[in-house]
Parts: sequence; structure tokens; C-alpha cells
Amino acid sequence: MSSQAKDINFQTDSFVEKLKRRQISGSYQVALETCQLLMKFVAATRWTHIDQLIVQIRLLGKRLESAQPREFSCGNVIRRVLALIRDEAHEDNNNNNQQTQNTTDSNNGPMISSMFSLLSITAEKSEQEPQSKARYHDLKSAIIQGIKDLIDEISSIDEGIESMAIDLIHDNEILLTPTPDSQTVLKFLLKAAKQKRKFTVLVTENYPNGTEKAHSFVKELTKAKIDTVLIPDSHVFAVMSRVGKVIVGARSVFANGGTVSTAGVAAVCECAKEYKTPVFTVAGLYKLSPTYPFDVENLIEIGNSGKVIKFSESELFHNTDVTNPLFDYIPPEHIDIYITNIGGFAPSFIYRIVLDNYKNEDVYLS
Amino acid sequence: MSEVKAEAEKAKKPQQTPGTTSTTATKKPASGSEPAKNADGTPKLTNKELKELKKQEKLAKRAAQKESAGIVSKVSAEQIAQNKNKKNQPLPVVEKKATVKKPEKKNSLFSHLETKEHRNELSLNQSQTLTQIHPSIISLTLKISSYSIVGSIPRCKAMLETFTQVISDYQTPEGTTLTRNLTNYLSLQIDYLKTSRPLSVSMGNAIRWLKQQISLISIDLSESQAKTQIIASIDDFIREKIEYAGKVIIDNASQHITNNSKILTFGNSQVLGDLFLHNHLVLNKTFQVIIVDSHPLFEGKALAQKLSASGLSVKYVLINSLSTTFQDNIDFVFLGAHSMLSNGFLYSRVGSALIAMKAKNKNIPVLVCCESVKFSDRVQLDSVTSNELADSELLIPEENKGRLNISLRNFKKNHEAKPEDTQSETGKKGKQQQQQQQQKKKELQQQQDAKKDDFELSNWKNNQYLNIVSVMYDLTPPEYIQKIITEVGALPPSSVPVILREYKSGGAN
Repeated sequence: MSSQAKDINFQTDSFVEKLKRRQISGSYQVALETCQLLMKFVAATRWTHIDQLIVQIRLLGKRLESAQPREFSCGNVIRRVLALIRDEAHEDNNNNNQQTQNTTDSNNGPMISSMFSLLSITAEKSEQEPQSKARYHDLKSAIIQGIKDLIDEISSIDEGIESMAIDLIHDNEILLTPTPDSQTVLKFLLKAAKQKRKFTVLVTENYPNGTEKAHSFVKELTKAKIDTVLIPDSHVFAVMSRVGKVIVGARSVFANGGTVSTAGVAAVCECAKEYKTPVFTVAGLYKLSPTYPFDVENLIEIGNSGKVIKFSESELFHNTDVTNPLFDYIPPEHIDIYITNIGGFAPSFIYRIVLDNYKNEDVYLS
Repeated sequence: MSEVKAEAEKAKKPQQTPGTTSTTATKKPASGSEPAKNADGTPKLTNKELKELKKQEKLAKRAAQKESAGIVSKVSAEQIAQNKNKKNQPLPVVEKKATVKKPEKKNSLFSHLETKEHRNELSLNQSQTLTQIHPSIISLTLKISSYSIVGSIPRCKAMLETFTQVISDYQTPEGTTLTRNLTNYLSLQIDYLKTSRPLSVSMGNAIRWLKQQISLISIDLSESQAKTQIIASIDDFIREKIEYAGKVIIDNASQHITNNSKILTFGNSQVLGDLFLHNHLVLNKTFQVIIVDSHPLFEGKALAQKLSASGLSVKYVLINSLSTTFQDNIDFVFLGAHSMLSNGFLYSRVGSALIAMKAKNKNIPVLVCCESVKFSDRVQLDSVTSNELADSELLIPEENKGRLNISLRNFKKNHEAKPEDTQSETGKKGKQQQQQQQQKKKELQQQQDAKKDDFELSNWKNNQYLNIVSVMYDLTPPEYIQKIITEVGALPPSSVPVILREYKSGGAN
């Protein structure tokens, strides 16, 4: 075993541990770090055929997913990379085929987009002989370049979303955001303020899990001279009649158009629906997950109940269950628009974007 | 009835006077303060200010008239007159002070509501009349303003009990009758009580009833007889409208609680707590109560504690986990009420509406337990127009405020002042020292920056762009409510005005 391989094993282990301990958390952070790990992994792994790489990455993906099962961005990034590898392999194959087939029969030309070629490729591949060394290196560098592009995309995601800010907020509007922990929402609002829009933002304080984040969110907004009102979570219904739009930051978005976000957001979106207030969700593409949320309860992580009732008070509550869920699932019918870095979409259209970015065979890594 | 209303209006008016002064004061600074000053710094009155002054005069005059008509003592009228003079002269100065204090905040959604500061000013204004306030009223005011008595029924009960004390200590001054003077005397007490928190609907109803009772007392009765009669009727009122009403409601609502049912409630309603305890301890039912609570008041904690101590199984969650909580199979949602409005809306602790909405969408019946004292003939369509502001400071974490904060701030001020002084002295000295000082200054600034981060929102009042708002109540639309359980029976929200009519006609008899 080469030292490089050992090194990557060690790095993977430490990454998995960090995920398990929640030392890396937040979808942005997780996505970026997963990308970096994958890049090193691809660089370190040797394979004779591209399918071996795919299998190895799938195994890695499975490990990473089970380390933090409710952090979907990790799995999403892996699926994106897998799709990328498959595309590269496909292209490579086609070139190869063309070279060989041009001499004999050019009937089976580049039909990349057709269903037929999609299905037939896997069958073809297994029959193929090991790739030549030059092609191996080409492929490897192409894949690494692809991952680099992905990293660039993820780190510049806010710019893509920000650019839509001005089109969505009108002057003197009152906005409500129930997710002050979302950096994307913050940047979105700051961008809108920079473009000389005057608006008021109501921010829920997200007690008990996100209060500190809410306070710093509020601080950032006031620094940018945006009129900001901090309200307790219970006030949502009371103020909803005055709110023009609700902006939600997503944790992950599912193929059906549903979203997992911070606890409390589902009630806010439901309330917005009652008042016919538009809800838009801002999310980077890497938050899009190709899975469907069949078991909603499984998506929700439970946090420290000591934040709800202090452990010092616990003696007073003998027969009391105290829970502190961290997330909420918001069904697609409570969301009006998704703002992603590649544009705005209706929830019902999300599945199409999922198809664009992921391969069907990678939906389930196991 | 009209008399009673007039009383209520009277009671409202003195509130307006300081209210208007302060709002004008806060509105001024942005536009008026700079140009209003002459070169020598003396304030110059603009047309606007003159108009305001006239307004003030008028209000003061009106107040004076009212007072002299109401309370017989000439002293108070004189005081008012003095006030009037005072108000006329130093008004611009007050305005200036206000500019220093607070930058203008705009667009706060709830800026039309009376703040605690307004109420504090009010209580300061009333300090001349403080001698006439009964000590038990003062203590009750304190208890209510510190939220140690919360909930509309406990507040109402505490108020009535205090009134019995006040009335038993009351002596009619010479030259008037009890019927006429006692109501005025009580109004004075109530005005003071209002400085703690606005009166609850139940308190308003009780006061209206009491005043009517007093006016009905025949002049032939001796003072002590009249007093015992009033006190007896207050006791009856407490027993009938609060205690027995609660019992009837509990009897009626108990049919909805069965073995193994799951019941969700919000906050801490007196009657609901009693209902759960009654079903658990007396009727021996086993069921689970899910208590949803909210920051910053955490009223549900007290209920959770009370119920879990009795052995009932309790689940305690905060309002942000509402959707997860509703994934359990909940049988009924029980809500308490602050008031039922005449258009069928439920006016209750903020957050109730969210829960009722969620329950409605999940097809879970929402039941409201509400004594008929809480019925109000007011109509309101949304929670923003009329509400009670809660203390926004409660939203700022403990460690960021309080005395520690003040001492830290002083510390900071001292340190800020020092280096500047020393620099001016040592301005001619060598460069080395200056550099050292600059370094020191940098360090200090870094420290200060670090501290600023620690303070977070503690000085939000000085931030023009930041508002921290919390209100006490919200409105639940009648569509979300299945049934209102009162002591006069269970009824749909649309029947609230019917009960009001019955109740009123009953009261007039």
C-alpha cells in the first residue's frame, strides 16, 4: 500500500469522526469539506477501470452519509461527483467508440442524450478491457478538474442567489425570516440593501437553538442599515398579516420540492400559507437531494433538551418528557418558489433539476 | 350604563397626556432639533412646537376640569394648575433631553402601542397623588408589573381581593356621599394600577360591575353597612364568576378527557391546570398533557411543574417544535383565553393562534375554556392594531444586561477617557512614548471591540435600525375554534355576542 493511500485512509477516518462529533456541521461546511476530501480521494485512488473508482466512491459515500445521516449535503456532493465521473467516463467511452467504430461502422454515433445510450452504456462498460495509461491520466485530471469546478460553484453560490435579490424585494416591504442561522439569507438581504432597497426584516429569534445566531444576524442587518425587528417565535401569527414575503433558508431540498430547515419554520410556512403570503426558499444547488422524504420523522434530528429546560431545573419536572427537535420538514405545498444559484423554480420543478445534476443509479449509494 | 362608560373614558384620558408628550418628543429629533436652535443655543419655537404647546395646554385644562369635577379636594386642582404652568415652560428642554436619549426609530409595526416607558412616566406623573393610593394597591401594582401575578383570572381575583381591603379601609370625606365618592376614589386606585400593565378584559368587566354595584347602593345605608354590603357582593362575584364558573367549566370540559388521550395546551391557564388536575386526581383518568411553551415568559413551566408533581405524564416542548409535536396523535387542543371578542376571535397569549391553526389543519378540535367575565364587546381583526407590549428586555440574554453591564460600561468609559487626557498632556514629549500610547490605545480598542461583541443587543435602544418587539397577545380567528366552554354552557365562537347580551342584561337587573 502506498503512503498516499494510507494518508487518504487516515484523512477519511478523521473526517468521518469529525462528522460524527458534529465538529463539521452546517451544510455549506460539510459540502465543501466533502469535496476537498473527494478530490484527495480521487487523486490517491488507483483503478484499472473507471467502474472501480465509482464503486470505491460509493463505499466512501455510504460511510460519510452514515456518519451524519441527516446532513444531506454530504451525500449530495458525492452524488454530484459520481455523476461527473460517469459523464466523463461516458464521453471517454464515446470518443473511444468513435475511434474504433469509425473504421467499421459509424452507425452508433454520439447519441449521448438518448435513453437508449444511457441504458446500454453500463452493459458495454463491463465488457471493456482495462484503459490505457494515457487515458487513465486524462480521465483522472478531468475528474479532479470537475471537482475543483464544483468547489468553485459551491463557494460562489451566494453570488448566484444574491443576483436575484433585487427582483424579489420591493421598496418598503416587510420581510420575515424564520432562519437567522442561514448565511445565504443574510447575504441575500444584504445584497438587496446594497441595491438601495428600503425594507424591514422581521427576524424570529429561534429560541433555544439559534438565539445567538439570530442576534448576530440581526446585528449584521443593522450594520447594513436595514430596519430590523427581532421577534419571539410565538409572534409569527400575530405579525403575519403585515408581512409581504417570507424568506426561508433551506438545510436540504428534496426531489419532491419539500425542504428540511430549522425547527419552527414549518409552522411559519403554514401560517404564511394561511395568510397567502408568498414563501421563498433560498438554497444552493448542493442542497438538492435526489431522495424523497418518505419518512419525515427520520429526517429530524433531536437536540439537547437541556436547552429547553435547564438541567439545574430538572428536579422540578419528574414525569416530564422534554424534547428539542432541531429541524422541521416543510412540505412542497407550503413553499412558493425556490431561489437557487441557477435561477428560481417552482417546487414542482425541483425533480427536473435533480435529474440534471444526479444520475439515477446513484440515488441510493448502498 | 352610559355613566359607566364615561367613567372608563375618564380613566383613559390622563393616560393620553403623557403619551402625547413623549411621542412628540421622540418624533422631533430627526427633523426639528437642529434648525430649532439659534446661534446662542436657546431653543426657538417653530410653528409645530407652538401648536403642540397649545395642545398640551388644552389637555392640561381638560384634565384640570375633570379632576376638579371628580375629586372634591381643592388641593388636587391646585396641583393640576401648577402642573399646567410647569408643563408650559420647560417643555422644549424636555424635548432636547429626549433627543440625546433616543434616536428615532421608524417602522416598528407596534410603535403605536403604549410602552412600559410611557407607563413609567405616567406613574411618575401620578406621584403627587401617591398619598391617596392605598398601600395594598401599590403592592398589587408591583406584583403585576413584575409578572409575579400573571393570567387574566389571577389578576382579576387579586384586584378584587385588594379592593375589598381598600373599601374596608375607606372613609367617606365630609360633605359627600359614599356612592359618589367611592367610585372616584376607586378610579384613582385603578389609574395607579394601570401603570403596571393595562387592565385585562376581566378586570375591566369586574370594575364596571363593581362601580355599578356601588352606584346602586341606597343613600339611606350607613357607611359601615354600605361597605359590608359592597364587600359581600365582591366576595359573591369572586365566588360566582370566578370560582364556581371555573368548576362548571371543568365539569363540562372533563367529558373530552378520556383515558389514554393526548391533550395539548399552551402556556399556563388557571382553569386548564385545574381541569387536568381534577381529571387526574379526582376522576382518576390517565392521560398525557403536552405543554407548549414560549420564550420569554415560560408560563408553561409552572403548569408542567404543577402537573408533573401530581404524577400526571407531561411532555414539555417549546413552540418552535410545534410541527414535530403535532405528529403525535393528539386528541384535543385546550386553550386558555385572555378574552373572547365579540366577533368570535380569541384574544389570548401570543402563540395560541399558531397552535390553533396547526390543530385546525390537522383536524384536531380546539376547545377554549373561558369564563364569561372574559367576554368583551370589543371587535378586532388583527393582533397588530391593539395589543399589549411586553418587556423587550426579556429577549436579551441575562448575561448581556443588568448591573454587570452597567459596571462594565462604566469601566469602559473610564478607560476610554484616560488615554485621550494623557495624550494631550504628553503631546510634546518624545515619539517613543506616543507610539507606546498608540499601541496601548489599539489594545484598548481591541478589548472594547471584543466587549462590544459580548454586549450584542444590550444597547439596542440606541440603535436606530434595530427594534426588539414582543407583545403579549394574539388573535385566533373563529374558524380555528371548535367550541368555547363557559360556565353558561358550551358554544361556538359565533355565539359570543349572544352571551354578551345575556350577560349584560343579567348584570343590569
